[in-house]
Amino acid sequence: MGPPKKITKKDSKAAGSSKFEKRRRPEDEAYAQLVDDDGPTTESDIPASAIKNAERNDEGIQEDEYGAKDYRSQMELKIDHSSRPLWVAPNGHIFLESFSPVYKHAHDFLIAISEPVCRPEHIHEYKLTPYSLYAAVSVGLQTNDIIEYLKRLSKTTIPQGIIEFIQLCTLSYGKVKLVLKHNKYFVESPHPEVLQKLLKDPVVQNCRLRPKDENGEDGFITSVQDKSKPALFGAKAATTTTGASETGDKVDGDGIVTTIVPEDITNFYEKIDNEDEEEEANLKTVSFEVNQEKIETLQKRCVEIEYPLLAEYDFRNDSVNPDINIDLKPAAVLRPYQEKSLRKMFGNGRARSGVIVLPCGAGKSLVGVTACCTVRKRALVLCNSGVSVEQWKQQFKMWSTADDSMICRFTSEAKDKPMGCGILVTTYSMITHTQKRSWEAEQTMRWLQEQEWGIMVLDEVHTIPAKMFRRVLTLVQSHCKLGLTATLLREDDKIADLNFLIGPKLYEANWLELEKKGYIAKVQCAEVWCPMSPEFYHEYLITKTSKKMLLYVMNPSKVRNTQFLIKYHEKRGDKTIVFSDNVFALKHYALKLNKPYIYGPTSQNERIQILQNFKFNPKVNTIFVSKVADTSFDLPEANVLIQISSHGGSRRQEAQRLGRILRAKKGAIAEEYNAFFYTLVSQDTMEMNYARKRQRFLVNQGYSYKVITHLSGLDSDNDLLYKTREEQGHLLQQVLAASDIDCEDEKVPGEGGVVRPGGSKRTGGISSMSGGDDAVYYEFKRKNAHNVHPLFKKFRG
Amino acid sequence: MVNLLKGVLVECDPAMKQFLLHLDETLALGRKFIFHDLDDTHLFISPDIVEVLQAKFDDMMDQISFPLHEKSN
Repeated sequence: MGPPKKITKKDSKAAGSSKFEKRRRPEDEAYAQLVDDDGPTTESDIPASAIKNAERNDEGIQEDEYGAKDYRSQMELKIDHSSRPLWVAPNGHIFLESFSPVYKHAHDFLIAISEPVCRPEHIHEYKLTPYSLYAAVSVGLQTNDIIEYLKRLSKTTIPQGIIEFIQLCTLSYGKVKLVLKHNKYFVESPHPEVLQKLLKDPVVQNCRLRPKDENGEDGFITSVQDKSKPALFGAKAATTTTGASETGDKVDGDGIVTTIVPEDITNFYEKIDNEDEEEEANLKTVSFEVNQEKIETLQKRCVEIEYPLLAEYDFRNDSVNPDINIDLKPAAVLRPYQEKSLRKMFGNGRARSGVIVLPCGAGKSLVGVTACCTVRKRALVLCNSGVSVEQWKQQFKMWSTADDSMICRFTSEAKDKPMGCGILVTTYSMITHTQKRSWEAEQTMRWLQEQEWGIMVLDEVHTIPAKMFRRVLTLVQSHCKLGLTATLLREDDKIADLNFLIGPKLYEANWLELEKKGYIAKVQCAEVWCPMSPEFYHEYLITKTSKKMLLYVMNPSKVRNTQFLIKYHEKRGDKTIVFSDNVFALKHYALKLNKPYIYGPTSQNERIQILQNFKFNPKVNTIFVSKVADTSFDLPEANVLIQISSHGGSRRQEAQRLGRILRAKKGAIAEEYNAFFYTLVSQDTMEMNYARKRQRFLVNQGYSYKVITHLSGLDSDNDLLYKTREEQGHLLQQVLAASDIDCEDEKVPGEGGVVRPGGSKRTGGISSMSGGDDAVYYEFKRKNAHNVHPLFKKFRG
Repeated sequence: MVNLLKGVLVECDPAMKQFLLHLDETLALGRKFIFHDLDDTHLFISPDIVEVLQAKFDDMMDQISFPLHEKSN
């Protein structure tokens, strides 16, 4: 992948060193090194246009005291505006009316060219960014089409600044592709003049592989692509994978390959609908062959001269890598959005690299499995825990014809024989492991590195930091990469990196729409306020260390609320998961309430046993888990989630946790809520602040939170714990006696830095004070953010 | 002998009372202002502090509530 790597290197570095500094323990030191230093990335990796930002286009526009902007001078209302769904603001933000009759077309189009910002029920907000436009180009949209569609859909004229912005960001992008065909690399473009220009560059010229019998003035290979048979998905996938694009190639005397194309009739709406079946259908493409050893130089040079190469893999014409014999089972039926996302990936009969964003529980694994079945070359699946390795294996066996002999697991627990298998499932940490391995693992690694992989599926891509990912890339050769995630956001800046290391975002689903159609569960989100007991609050106020956190997590009224909710839902026959980031609290709650719990040190066997019991044993209806269960724990039965402590203000964690209960429930055409997500918050503490911050992502997806200030029936229930002052006092003593380590969140490798605005201090033995085990004393200053919206300030008295 | 003390009766929830006591103890407002700790939800405080106290509470509310219009990313 050659496209831009970073927005600004300096920014992310600065953020990394101040706000998001990692607190290290010896065991994740090796990991931290991977995360922290980003390796040499030079400014020249970025095409100049990627730094542009439309946000500044509207400086100097008048604002009223509520922040509303007056754009009348730049946008002229069209006469038939009521039948058009879009407003395009000069700062790159686009507003879409979701009740418009042409909503569907507009929505698909906007998803392709812009980033969704906020999608509540009626008005959706999108934003044009250089990255989103780059993604649009890479799925085959052309500059003029983008502008033309926007013009057609907009209620007003499009501001000139936006048109310029789009042109700037798209004109040079996506014009040239790096295609692997018949095991030779070609640089391909529908625009001969672009190739001419490229070839004038001495570096590029150097990389070119000239055919021996050179003829014609430019010697380009001309070919016309057959676009009438893009890969289809669903039941027919099995047959199309073999049959498509077999138009006879006529080779004439000069070695120029010409193909005849069927005509493609397109009207604009159809094109919006099927933008993956690009124009190129009617276009001739020209290409030249490239010396394989110089690919990297070429990619770099192309970025420098503003023509980033898009990598595509023509897997059907790859004859060196053997096909593996898997197909989707006939029973595997793709849902419309899964099909759509895959169409983006295989739009022109070749495989593009990129990221597909689907909510948790919406069937990401099926998308992954289908992609592997379509490419039908050796596949490597990377996920982030041993449990999800098992789950991927099951998914493969469930949806495809692959059997045990073809699927190889490579984890510290299970090492199947890798030789001769078609699908390898492993974890990121297994691949990037730097310490000594067992002989067996060493062998597997060597084998893995020698292979040329057809497709690499990256599960939960948002969890892996760029550095780790680069390491994976250097170790494993793969033709195309598919990233799968539910939440393409991090509290630090590392997402932009991933976007370009893997590829552009190909598809992002709308949560609320899937919910309405019953593909995912309908969730009631609730924030339950638990009043702090006076004694705890007193301690909270005078404590200055991280024990503050333990105090609000262990708040007795929180324990009571938890117990009450568990009881209530057990009576309804629901399956409940309780999340706590804090291990001290996790153990305490679980032991007090007599429920099984899983956290970091829990062994794999015990985990699986607990999870199996949770699934099948009607007596185990509630389990307690720490953050190890945040991602990739597949618990389809669970429909109630109670969160008692969390990782600061992480929006991603909130979304991932919600994902644990999103899998559609039986009889799921949901009129009422069929899943519940409770967050317990201690009143008047920092937790309120965090809770608000965490909710932003889901609110932007259109979820609304219900605030429960008091659970009815809580006071009349006499069986609850910590009823009397004495009991609460005992609890307080225990909390105060807890050590500093207990106050910390559990550390899981793969997590980014701790975002904690308050002060933080670590104490330890003499050796750690002297830096012996790398525990350094430091504090953070909290940035004072006091820009409350005037509207809210006003009514506060 | 009768001692007369002019003051303001404050009624609040138990947690808030703790906060007031905390402010009193740490001399956050420059001096002590609570005359009497009556019960779980009631305090008897000095009348001239009320204004300052209200301002202080706004600050605390601001700390707890998250600014909605921080730049979204």
